Amino acid sequence: MNQERKRLDPRRPFLLNPAGLRRIILGATGGFDASLLAAPAHKPAAKPLRLHGDPAGYLLAAAHSQRGMLDAHAHQAIAAAALLATPQQAVAVLVFGSLNEDLRAYGADLVAVLPGADELGFAPEQELAWLDEFVTRYAPAHVFMPDNETGDGDLGRRLAVQLEAEVATHVVELKPGAVAMYWQGGAALARGPMPLVVLIAPDVVETSLPFSGAGETVAPPAAQAPPGPYQNRGLREIAASALALEEADFIVAAGNGVADIPTLEAVAAAFGAAVGASRVAVDEGKFTRDKQIGATGKTVSASTYLAVGISGAVQHLQGIKACRHVIAINCDASAPITKRADLSIVGDAQEVMTALLAGLAQRNWPDTARESV
Amino acid sequence: MMPPQLKIAALVSVGRNPASGAPRAARNDVLALDAALGLAREVSVLHAGDAAPALHDYLAYGAASVEVLPLPPGADALAPLAGRVAGYDLILCGQRAEAGQGSGMLAYRLAKALNMPVVSAALEISLLGDEVEIVQFLPKGQRRVVRVSLPAVIALHPLAPRNPRYVYASRRAGRLLSAPAQVGAPLPASPWQSEPAVKKPQKLKPPETRQGHARLLGAIATESKGGALVREGSAAEKARAILDYLRANRLIGF
Repeated sequence: MNQERKRLDPRRPFLLNPAGLRRIILGATGGFDASLLAAPAHKPAAKPLRLHGDPAGYLLAAAHSQRGMLDAHAHQAIAAAALLATPQQAVAVLVFGSLNEDLRAYGADLVAVLPGADELGFAPEQELAWLDEFVTRYAPAHVFMPDNETGDGDLGRRLAVQLEAEVATHVVELKPGAVAMYWQGGAALARGPMPLVVLIAPDVVETSLPFSGAGETVAPPAAQAPPGPYQNRGLREIAASALALEEADFIVAAGNGVADIPTLEAVAAAFGAAVGASRVAVDEGKFTRDKQIGATGKTVSASTYLAVGISGAVQHLQGIKACRHVIAINCDASAPITKRADLSIVGDAQEVMTALLAGLAQRNWPDTARESV
Repeated sequence: MMPPQLKIAALVSVGRNPASGAPRAARNDVLALDAALGLAREVSVLHAGDAAPALHDYLAYGAASVEVLPLPPGADALAPLAGRVAGYDLILCGQRAEAGQGSGMLAYRLAKALNMPVVSAALEISLLGDEVEIVQFLPKGQRRVVRVSLPAVIALHPLAPRNPRYVYASRRAGRLLSAPAQVGAPLPASPWQSEPAVKKPQKLKPPETRQGHARLLGAIATESKGGALVREGSAAEKARAILDYLRANRLIGF
């Protein structure tokens, strides 16, 4: 029993590898270096750049922004260009409208922003002139755009016709040099070589990339189109409360933490928002079944989702996956919704809602919010 | 009111029932035909392709006759259509075909060939002298009003609020008019290979380059970003934080 048992020194020397993991140094003994422990373990390492050196060619992505952000579909178009680019090709992105987000995570190497483009306006000739100049500048092998109804599908088709180029629309599968899309109303899948203009359907590209783009800002195109036959006569908005939840852009949703439904409806009316509910609130009979959001209810894609008294079960979070800005009011700071929400307010729902209504009635707060953008 | 000499054409195609695959009148083209009939009493209804029995449905939906421009199978419908509708003031069609490629390109190519403006996603169309006003569909409950000068090509959105009526008597009364067949140029070999859509298309993903441990970490890691958390302060300050966030992101207009 007196035999000496070999013990491992728990403080033996180690190194942190690039992924932030501790790796012991085999054979080394002694010394415990506190400075090494100070470095945070398991820190996510910065993603490596995809492109090194000067590019030999370009792939293009173009999309319209809304309120300074590109939507998931536009991100997928940029990611498609980054994933399909050869190691020597750079990804140039043209954004119509202002841009307040970082596109490096989606692989954008060069970014040109046209803040003067009206986000929801209609100026197809001017936009086509800009895009045409951008295409001429970079002579890309392919131009990727989201095939959506907010202007990119229309602009991409106009570009293809203007350049008399081959085009693939509603593309559902992308491979290096090849695309596939549905024919015969979805009964047949047609495969062919990748054309110049590629308009991709939603959710056909993974946007979490293992690399990052250079994200260099370049000068936007400056072409001016002569006045043409199109006149934009403005927008006609339909009240969110009159819309189906799936189409609403602003949703105020209630959960178990809301007792006073009239106040919630007043908040929704003040924002011009549609009213939704979690499963618990619907089961209690506070709302009709068609208001339910989540796995067994509706899947919504509102820009703004104000969750009042909702803890955020996974089934509910599944229904709000596509929402851009989620604001939560909840009395529990550790509720799962705080991990999903962009802004979480910890407090009593009733008090905050009443204060919101009072604030909305006054509308005379100082304009500090805009400066923080 | 509109000048009587306005020439309006509706382009129709043979659709496809998504469940059974049976040929039928294409839903979007029925909307285009109905919109055209709402603008003028006389509308030229044109179809490039074979005189298929499904075209009789358009007679039931109000077309006095359907003019069939013969086309070799698989040939491009652009040239015969562009030749036929030259000189028309307004050309309406569905935004996307139900059969064939359904790329939604025809309106744009036709407009380019005829040197006309083109507007797609049209919900409502009204004539104002030598202009036409179009209410366009936008997602999230928004509609855009656009004016273009005539002549123009307009593609109807599937959600256009129209209520076309199927009248069997007009189906019996109408006729398909076939133009004489033309000998077209031989078709170039198409690079597109079509197959039955059985397999789900593959998503484009980055190649997996991580090794063992990193991959396992990636599999269990949740993408919890977690935004700002406001705990302190009165209810009024918390409400103010919400309004500031909404204003900073331009989510409310005041």
